[in-house]
Amino acid sequence: MTLLTPDGFILEAQNVAKSFPAQEQRLELFSALSLQVKPGESLAIIGRSGAGKSTLLSLLAGLDQPSSGHIKLAGRDLSLMDDAQRAAFRSQYISFIFQSFHLLPELSSLDNVRLPLEIRGDKQAEQHALQWLKEVGLEKRVHHYPAQLSGGEQQRVAIARAFVTSPQLLFADEPTGNLDDETGQQIIEQLFRLNAEQQTTLILITHDPDLASRCQRCVTLNNGHLTERSL
Amino acid sequence: MSASVRILRRQMQGQLRTTEWRALLIATWIAITLTTLLSLLGDRLERGLLRESASVLGADMVLSSQRPIQTLRLQQATDAGLTSTSVIQFPSMISAGDEMMLSSVRIVQSPYPLRGQIQTRPSQETDIPEPGHAWVEARVMSQLGLSLGDRIELGYTELIVKAELISSPDRGSGFRSFSPQILVNEADLEASGILAPGSRAEFRLLLSGSSEQVTAFAQFLKENLGDEERLFSLQDEQPLGGNALASALSYLKLTSLIALLLSALTIFLSLKRFSQSQHLRCALLLSLGMTQRSMVVLYLMQLVLAWAVLALMGSFTGIALEHMVSRWLDELLPQSLPAPALWRYFTGAGVGLALLVLLGLPPILGLSKVSVSALFRDEDIKTERRGLALQVMCALLLLVVLLSFLEAPMAAFILLAFLLLGGAVLGTIAQFCLKHLATPLAKRLLLGRLLVMRLRQQRQWHRLQSAVAILLLTLLSVVWVSRTDLLKDWQAQIPDDTPNYFVVNIQPWQTEGLQSFLDDANVNAVFFPMVRGRITTLNGAPIHAQMTPEQLEHNTLNRELNLSWSNQAPAHNIMTEGEWWQGETSGPLISVEEEMAQILGLKLGDVLGFDLAGLEVEAQIANLRSVEWTSFQPNFYVIFDEATLNQFPATYITSFRLGQEQQELANQLVRAFPSLTLIDIDQMLLQLNQWLTRLGDSSALILALSLVCGAMLMLLTLQQALEQRRYEGALLQTLGANAKQTQQLDLLELMLLGGLCGFMAAIIAEGIIALLYIHLLDIAPQLHLGLWLTLPLASFAFFTVSGALLRKRLTLDQCYRLLRAH
Ligand SMILES: Nc1ncnc2c1ncn2[C@@H]1O[C@H](COP(=O)(O)OP(=O)(O)OP(=O)(O)O)[C@@H](O)[C@H]1O
Ligand SMILES: [Mg+2]
Repeated sequence: MTLLTPDGFILEAQNVAKSFPAQEQRLELFSALSLQVKPGESLAIIGRSGAGKSTLLSLLAGLDQPSSGHIKLAGRDLSLMDDAQRAAFRSQYISFIFQSFHLLPELSSLDNVRLPLEIRGDKQAEQHALQWLKEVGLEKRVHHYPAQLSGGEQQRVAIARAFVTSPQLLFADEPTGNLDDETGQQIIEQLFRLNAEQQTTLILITHDPDLASRCQRCVTLNNGHLTERSL
Repeated sequence: MSASVRILRRQMQGQLRTTEWRALLIATWIAITLTTLLSLLGDRLERGLLRESASVLGADMVLSSQRPIQTLRLQQATDAGLTSTSVIQFPSMISAGDEMMLSSVRIVQSPYPLRGQIQTRPSQETDIPEPGHAWVEARVMSQLGLSLGDRIELGYTELIVKAELISSPDRGSGFRSFSPQILVNEADLEASGILAPGSRAEFRLLLSGSSEQVTAFAQFLKENLGDEERLFSLQDEQPLGGNALASALSYLKLTSLIALLLSALTIFLSLKRFSQSQHLRCALLLSLGMTQRSMVVLYLMQLVLAWAVLALMGSFTGIALEHMVSRWLDELLPQSLPAPALWRYFTGAGVGLALLVLLGLPPILGLSKVSVSALFRDEDIKTERRGLALQVMCALLLLVVLLSFLEAPMAAFILLAFLLLGGAVLGTIAQFCLKHLATPLAKRLLLGRLLVMRLRQQRQWHRLQSAVAILLLTLLSVVWVSRTDLLKDWQAQIPDDTPNYFVVNIQPWQTEGLQSFLDDANVNAVFFPMVRGRITTLNGAPIHAQMTPEQLEHNTLNRELNLSWSNQAPAHNIMTEGEWWQGETSGPLISVEEEMAQILGLKLGDVLGFDLAGLEVEAQIANLRSVEWTSFQPNFYVIFDEATLNQFPATYITSFRLGQEQQELANQLVRAFPSLTLIDIDQMLLQLNQWLTRLGDSSALILALSLVCGAMLMLLTLQQALEQRRYEGALLQTLGANAKQTQQLDLLELMLLGGLCGFMAAIIAEGIIALLYIHLLDIAPQLHLGLWLTLPLASFAFFTVSGALLRKRLTLDQCYRLLRAH
């Protein structure tokens, strides 16, 4: 069941500021960011390197705390929760896809996909995992270990792992950044297909204009400001 | 939970292949093995020999004296309501047929003992041997070839061996307790003619009663104790003073401190490295929904699981080694050792758990705090340096655990400080040398500049590495050399005519007969009279009041001295100040040993007062002489002029040399003079040698385990260093160097390091050994060529081989990948 803010957003950031203590003065990435995302939307965040995209993503996902401002996720204000609550909340609603896949090397594809379900105590973990591996076209690679897979295949395992928990929100930080164009293209296709099928809200960071243009919305982070680019 | 278990299993399987886990496991294993070994062995030795338990004392309390116990004391004990019995113990020759041996004779009266039990084979009806009988330990029986019912000679009497003595309390203190013993009824003492005034013997009064009576009497005695008296009671649970076994045990424990220290360091470093390698993984697990709590539990479970396996293995190996070591020691011990307390079996496991948990907790708690957002940035995840308080607390707790295990906190502390300081100094010197060695080399090598650069970059690592290697190699060589060569070298330096026999307890009326016996056999021997006395005054005032606490520690002030008289300077002493008296002297004169005079601040002309069996005698210092205590000649701190001392009851002492072909003479001598005590120095040295060898073996065993720990530590750091180098190597290779050249660079560095460590260890070991030779043995230091060859070579080989094995060759393709991934 999806929980929404009163206005019908699954994710809402209000006047979010973030700064880091730097050597001399504080490094202020942004001072008053606001953003709203509707359920099932796909949103691309673009911007030059160092603009703070990854930082913004971890704020939105509740991995990090903003210096000020509020982030509401699925109707709940993240800043009102403690670490453990946020973690529990995250595990219920959110999945991640990373630029460098981050599969556990000593687990097979199947075990990697199964892992998040097992952590949640799902009894049918194996079945679901197999199903998702098939979904990403890796039914022949079920018992392979990450080292035996190509980069594209590894990312597909990671996608299966992200979808297997049926998340409301999927955060992806440059999911194609470590892949060549062609493989990247395949990954993108898959990601959007599954996203559409599963009604997942997708928030991704990319440098790739192609990928950005596939999203329903695209925002640019520049000098601490978000500007929406109409497509 | 099943997910956690599965992750745990997979995780552990994967980690078993990593160096840090292997090092961690081996180091913990060794730590558990060692603590088990020492805990068991220490407990058994202490229970059996050191601690004064009632069953060791044979009483609740023992009053021991160098003179016959006064009847007053007996009366006092009876008045206090205590049961008492007297024991006299002295060394004496026992012979049977042609065989003879020195043993410790205990003259006892019934009831005996007051506590504990005597075990004999066959078991006897009476509590002590009947008159005319003796109970004899197995060692005496085997050496003299005795069986039950045979006769032995003790002085002028003959006794029948009625039973074999299996174990008995009240063995006496110090080395006495190690000699083979025989038990004889007091009725036979007089006929043996052994004990005469002035003979060496320990007189003991065994006391027992209710604990209030004993405590009260102990208090009373302590306030009235005479100089020659000592009190052993259960209240002050101290090891018997000066026991060689006690020192041996603490020596072993201190040796093991090194191993424990190294294993703790290894465990610490591997856990640190392990937790670093786990950062990304933890972030991932957190991102997949695992809670911080279950993650901490997961990693703790991993540690505890590892501990459980290691505790089993380590306890097992520890027990096995304990069996081995106690068997080594068994032949040297008077009686077989009792079983250890049950809980001692678990100390090893306990210390192991403390090591793992206390060292593991801070990094594991740190793991649960990694930030998931780091997964977006592909850099190394650094956890904040939080939990410093926790780390400090854990370190302190660990220190407490280790020190309480060692039971000698002060010594352990000093050793610890010494090791750390020494390690730091050695490491710095080694690194300095390495730098200066490499500079000339660099000019001749293709990649020489890189070598120099690397030596600068890796200097921390080099310091740690070389400090550990040098310390370990040094210690091992010193132990090894002292085990084998020390006594041999020392014996080789003893002049050929050095006496190898002492005869003591010679009564005045026996001197003439003995002299002519030795003259007939062409044996050169000088007789020295011995009178017992105590120094009481200096220049008319009590001497104790005039001395500093350090001076009061001196041998001559806290016990009765053997004094001698002579009107000629002893031929083997050198006069350093003053002249020996000639003919009639105007008053009592004495000659004082130089070192004693120096320490006590005595000058020519000072007057020392003595208490000689109750009589006060004052004498003026006429001269000083230097004495070679290790010359095996009878030597004395103080020698009087003849007229002053010869009125006192004296016994005589002499020493002489019997050649290999004259050994039969010793037997003849004992038969001709049964009441004399003949001490065979060669035999004693042989025993000492055995002790040193066994002790050396035991500590070499412990040091070898330390060496394994040290090797683990080195491999661990080496691998880390080599890993860093892979990137550098990869970069060089993409820039045009070939795989062989980068390999040469790595190996060259390790070869230099290895060779240098070995060489430095040889220098330091040789230095320590030289110090031992000069100060302990008083002989000229010798060069041990073996050390100079083996140490550098072994260390060179170790570094080179392990480096070559650990280092993985990179193909150019791998290089690109490595660089891209970085
Ligand atoms: N924990 C931190 N402490 C200090 N500075 C940080 C921290 N995290 C990020 N920054 C800084 O914030 C800025 C933004 O980093 P961020 O990773 O969000 O950039 P980005 O837009 O994702 O860049 P890229 O496209 O290269 O991934 C950088 O300058 C970075 O150095
Ligand atoms: Mg980024």
